[in-house]
Amino acid sequence: MHQIYYIESNQLNILFQKLKKDYRVFSPVIKENNATKETDYSYGESTENEPFVFNPYRTVEPLKTFFTPPLDKAVEYFNQDESTEYLPKIIIFGVKSCDIVGHKVQDFVFLEGVEVDSLYRLRRENTIFISSDCTDFKEVCHCLAWEILPHPTEGFDLNLSPLNEGYLVEAGSKKGEELIQQYKEFFVIAKDTQLTARKVKRENLMERLKKHLLPQHLVSKDIVQRLMKEGYNLDTWQQFMLTCVECGGCNFICDTCHCFLLADKKEGNINKKLKAWDACLYANYAKVAGGANPLKTRTRRLRFRFTKKFDFFIDNLGMPACCGCGRCIEVCPGKIDIREVLKDLAKKLNIKT
Amino acid sequence: MKNIYKPKEAIVEDIIVESPTIKTFVLRLKEPFEFKTGQFVELTLPGIGEAPFTPSSDPNIKNKIDVTVMNVGRVTSLLHTSSKNISLGMRGPYGKGYPLDKFEGKDILIVGGGVGLAPLRSLLFSLFVEIDKYNKVVLRYGARTPDDIIYKESIPRWAKIKKVDVATTVDVGDTKWKGNVGLVTTILKDLPVDLKKAVSVVCGPPIMMKFTTLKLLDLGFKPQDIYLSMEKNMSCGLGKCGHCRIGKFYTCKDGPVFTYEQLNDIHDIWE
Repeated sequence: MHQIYYIESNQLNILFQKLKKDYRVFSPVIKENNATKETDYSYGESTENEPFVFNPYRTVEPLKTFFTPPLDKAVEYFNQDESTEYLPKIIIFGVKSCDIVGHKVQDFVFLEGVEVDSLYRLRRENTIFISSDCTDFKEVCHCLAWEILPHPTEGFDLNLSPLNEGYLVEAGSKKGEELIQQYKEFFVIAKDTQLTARKVKRENLMERLKKHLLPQHLVSKDIVQRLMKEGYNLDTWQQFMLTCVECGGCNFICDTCHCFLLADKKEGNINKKLKAWDACLYANYAKVAGGANPLKTRTRRLRFRFTKKFDFFIDNLGMPACCGCGRCIEVCPGKIDIREVLKDLAKKLNIKT
Repeated sequence: MKNIYKPKEAIVEDIIVESPTIKTFVLRLKEPFEFKTGQFVELTLPGIGEAPFTPSSDPNIKNKIDVTVMNVGRVTSLLHTSSKNISLGMRGPYGKGYPLDKFEGKDILIVGGGVGLAPLRSLLFSLFVEIDKYNKVVLRYGARTPDDIIYKESIPRWAKIKKVDVATTVDVGDTKWKGNVGLVTTILKDLPVDLKKAVSVVCGPPIMMKFTTLKLLDLGFKPQDIYLSMEKNMSCGLGKCGHCRIGKFYTCKDGPVFTYEQLNDIHDIWE
């Protein structure tokens, strides 16, 4: 484990303001405060003097928007003097454990494999993740079902755990450690009693989340690939497809979905390739020029989304491409619930969840 | 650091009409560009769009690439109406090509359908250059009509090369056609190949690939000795954009050439 520090809330707020001088700082803000339902948080660029807000659970939008925005310039070509993009250094607050795990999929796609996406890498290198423990969860949250803890264990630069009138701060990388050293006057080394208190708080939240999840009998990591292989021809896909309106929302809001289209555009004398998010729930996703379309039906496309997450990525990355954030459940106008689809497969195959 | 989406510039040096719907574009690259037979490239019409093609020329020829294009979609129809000397963009090459080393000493059965002969022509050229390495090359090619046959003048020349055996067929003949009429599977009888040391390579429309594969299995070819060129919606070419996934593979990076053994437990591969 890395060194853990403590910072008081008012000190964190001063530091938060200071950081905005050197970085573009993105941090969750309350999107909609409605007493009758869950409060939603959304990333926004923090303006001068805007105070730090702690989000108890994940934001509405996925972390990927910072690295592969919905519409992005991939490259300019055949231009004499090509403009080079200015990339600011950014800090993202409020990243949660599910986001970090989900983002492993994005990193795998864009940083590994045949070749590296250089713009993605630059953005990644220029970004500092300041994650935080969840202190609450949304109805749709089910990270624990995939054995993902509701507090980050790796992949962050700094992690905040709220404690009394301040936060425990754990450095998870060299970048994080350097940031603490740069502003060391704000931090003190955490005491053992504080570490114990963090442990207790984390365990309490996990107990609450378990109580929420246990009655749902969710599918586990160990059986999910089997469901894809053995459940390929079940009527589950057709049944759940019925309410799909092909909006692609589940794809776009997903922390792990990464598909994109390359499109060409001419602006004046400049030729550009654009990278735009694509969705496997769209009718033309897999269509080839001759007209053949291996994913002709919604049933096939829905199944394709699931087999990508729970078959392809288990084979290729060793983990399912679902982090249990539940964003797709919230966004779906057809009320297609990833938890229910998996449970239905297990039920029909007589496999114990 | 290099940008993986950036195309290199190529000039269209010549356009050869192969059939009413198919043309070959002879491209001269402005920068060095090498490919292995069976690998594919992404061709960009600047500012308009791009599409994947497998070069049809001999990979030993440097800085000049032939791409045989059927007029089927937005990009290809615009390509068909374009003229010589225009600039195109080219990215790649992508994927794994034909494993020539595994073909050494073997009887190589090559089955093509329609414009599927394009990638196979590149393979044939690669084999012809070092024909002594291989035991035999047997080409079986089918097109819809005599007019639809591509490389019309080349095919009879290939038939004269030593160790090369060629047969063609059309689905529907015309008054001048003296050859076989029927699907390509009808000329897969009495093949002059020794199954103990034979491999087969298939490229064509999905339905033709399906029935050819079934026929080849029937004849006794082993799944690991049937090489298929899969056509999916390859876009980025790098295993990142997601579109060309088949099961646990991406066609662009793990293919486009697969053995039937790799694919036979994956659902709906012929769709």
